[in-house]
Amino acid sequence: MQARLDRVMELASRSLARRSSRRGFLGTFAMAITGVAALPLLPVRRGAVAEAAELPAQAGDPSAAKAPPAAPAKVVTDPASCDYWKYCAIDGFLCACCGGTSTTCPPGTEPSPITWIGTCHNPADGRDYLVSYNDCCGRTTCGACTCVRNEGEKPMYRMSLNNDVNWCMANDNPNYHCSVSVILGVAEK
Amino acid sequence: MSLGRFSGLLAAVLPAVALATSAPPPLAPEHIGVEKMPKRTAHYAYLLDVSWNNYIDERVYVYDGDAGKLRGMMDLGYYGNFAESPDGKTSAMAATYWSRGGHGTRTEVVEWYDNDTLKPRGELVLPAKRAQVGVITPFNLAYSADGRFVYSTNLTPTASVSIIDVAKNTVTAEIDTDGCVQAIPSRVHRFTAICENGRLLTVNIDDAGHEASRSVSEPFFNVDVDPVFVQSVPTPNGVIYVSFLGDVHPVDLSGAKPVFAPVWSLVSKKDRGHWRPGSQQLVAYNAPLNRLFVLMHQGGEGSHKEAGSEVWVFDAGTHQRLARWPLNVAKHGGGIALLATRDEQPLLYVATEKSALQVLDARSGRVLHTEAKLGQSLWYMQNP
Repeated sequence: MQARLDRVMELASRSLARRSSRRGFLGTFAMAITGVAALPLLPVRRGAVAEAAELPAQAGDPSAAKAPPAAPAKVVTDPASCDYWKYCAIDGFLCACCGGTSTTCPPGTEPSPITWIGTCHNPADGRDYLVSYNDCCGRTTCGACTCVRNEGEKPMYRMSLNNDVNWCMANDNPNYHCSVSVILGVAEK
Repeated sequence: MSLGRFSGLLAAVLPAVALATSAPPPLAPEHIGVEKMPKRTAHYAYLLDVSWNNYIDERVYVYDGDAGKLRGMMDLGYYGNFAESPDGKTSAMAATYWSRGGHGTRTEVVEWYDNDTLKPRGELVLPAKRAQVGVITPFNLAYSADGRFVYSTNLTPTASVSIIDVAKNTVTAEIDTDGCVQAIPSRVHRFTAICENGRLLTVNIDDAGHEASRSVSEPFFNVDVDPVFVQSVPTPNGVIYVSFLGDVHPVDLSGAKPVFAPVWSLVSKKDRGHWRPGSQQLVAYNAPLNRLFVLMHQGGEGSHKEAGSEVWVFDAGTHQRLARWPLNVAKHGGGIALLATRDEQPLLYVATEKSALQVLDARSGRVLHTEAKLGQSLWYMQNP
């Protein structure tokens, strides 16, 4: 885990160097990932936009017999769906439903300079990716496409792996609006 | 007019005359007034609605569990924290506000609400570093046991605690907690924070409101193996932590150093990893009955915020499970928050995903009141 975290930090720092002008903030909290942000807690079930038709058939499911034996699972590619693979550790509103995309904030908002990172499996290529979750800040909550997934999420005493605190906290305006996910790179096993 | 037509007219008028003479007097003019807050009982609760779809409008409802009635409301701004003074006279409401609704000049402030009038009677502006934490607990903002100090947590994300002298209405110190979070009050002037390495940091405050000393406990859990929720529940001498997999960690904070009681489990070996505690305010405790109430669900890794499908009831002394109370998930959504009242005939408040509120007899599980929808997102409740 620690090796993976180190890799996360390295990638996150590189990402920050590319995208952020607020690097000075890193000095205050080395484990906080800059360039991306996590979100406030939403203690409800994951997003309601379940795309059942796109889920792989389960063993024991009578319908499985009808599926081609080696057919790969259909991948959810809609960034407005909570089942989109990059959202494996997101907790908040999807910016893709709020005037942004999976990687861009809606007009009028600002990305958060600090965040946390998830490791998500992309079923399309079989790889695990480090994904940074930025909050978009400066407006009240978007209110569309709530999505809560917590793979690998930890309580806030391990803040680098926590999505319950307001990661807009360091913005000029810490008003949380929605969240994006940004691929940082392939996670090394 | 013929007699026949006159008779018909008379027949039509007479009932109206009879009605007029027998009608009650008209309603008296009304006068607008303001209801006085009733004297709160142990069965009251504060219900925190985070207003998830418009987060800058959080509020705290004051609810009468016996009557099944909302008695009043207080504003809680954005990412608010709430604490009641030990004498019950004041509610401390710490929150973020902007001068233009969701933007403009930012103010971090703790407002002191008079609990008899539900009006703020003073405030203290805080540094712009107050912790904005989605997991609401009694330990984001807390009074010292004697009510003299308030501990207000900060996160920038550097973690610290501001010490507020209530009588002087001033911040006396900001104490760096070395990455540890929360401020669990104990004894007179002491607070405890929980740390990433599984230890507890305890800080003693001197009479002037500054740090006098600090100590760090031995680790009592491993975050990589089975982390504990930060949503611990207060007990008469400390707190009870519950872990993701259902281990129970009672901690005695009454002495100079934390004392960790033997760990016990909410789940059998067969159910471990399948039935898990989860959601927001997932644990409640009643001291007179020594009972623990936990929101449980069936799920795997990553399901620790899943709403509860059942409430499990335990004797915290014998560790025996006394009951399983299924919630009406289809109708109200799963359980998000639990609160037990503090008396010997306690109520159990259950708030759900659909922002329904149910008030149960905490001894039998019988539903006494149901609010199909109260506010928008009830994620936290607190005793008076």
